[in-house]
Amino acid sequence: MSEPMTGLLADLQLADPDPARSERTRTRCRARLARAQRASGTPAPGPRGRTVLLWQPLIAVLSVAYFAAAIVQALRAYAVP
Amino acid sequence: MDRDTELELVDRLRQGDADAFDAVHLAFNRPVFTFLLRLSRRRDVAEDLLEETWLRFVKHAHRLRADSRLGPWLFTVARNLHVSYQRSRALEDSATAGLMTLWPVNPQRSSPFEAAAASELERRIERALAAMSTASREVLLLVGVAGLDHADAADVCGVTPETLRQRLHRAREALSKALERDADGDAPALEGVTSCPSR
Repeated sequence: MSEPMTGLLADLQLADPDPARSERTRTRCRARLARAQRASGTPAPGPRGRTVLLWQPLIAVLSVAYFAAAIVQALRAYAVP
Repeated sequence: MDRDTELELVDRLRQGDADAFDAVHLAFNRPVFTFLLRLSRRRDVAEDLLEETWLRFVKHAHRLRADSRLGPWLFTVARNLHVSYQRSRALEDSATAGLMTLWPVNPQRSSPFEAAAASELERRIERALAAMSTASREVLLLVGVAGLDHADAADVCGVTPETLRQRLHRAREALSKALERDADGDAPALEGVTSCPSR
């Protein structure tokens, strides 16, 4: 681009967006960033972590018991008098 | 914004640093808004597209490449949003803007005469820009006003650098001719003023 034209365009003034709306947008964006950061971060250890550790084996034990009972019922119904 | 600062901000943004976002917002809010205002020639549309640009920016912040260039990234999103808007609304390029009254008065002019002269020149440039096609206007705004280099501007527009160079050449000639016509008192017709008050 030629120098005079570059100078003419570069000297054009910047426009101002609505300050209140800009501030609302900025706040909203900050909140979204914070949410995204929380969502992607590793959950902190604590009571909730211990709860997860307790529930997982309990669910496994109950599942095994359920399937064992189901198999026993099936054998009783079809195979063993 | 120097490159080191930019890279540091990108790194912090990838980690979700809200203060880094504030710095980027402060640096680019007005330039991107001005770009959108001159492209769309409607303040309400420019405000809407600006907000959407920032929301998309934060949505993708954690996926930014470590070497991302923030200016070109933001102008690309803003430009694409404007293209989508234009398609959806089927705007006509022939519509012109009354946005001269929306521009602030530059307080740094040294005398009333200089202020009047500069202001008149700016009005002529704004009129000439507003009368140009969107494709011509956007390359002038990106290279001449926003200060992007040719490669970045080509990326923003989604064209090759050679195509951009040709567009820029044609746009510059069109602007020169429009300014000459305006100086001779044969100003481009200003019809369909579409500026709206800000919300």
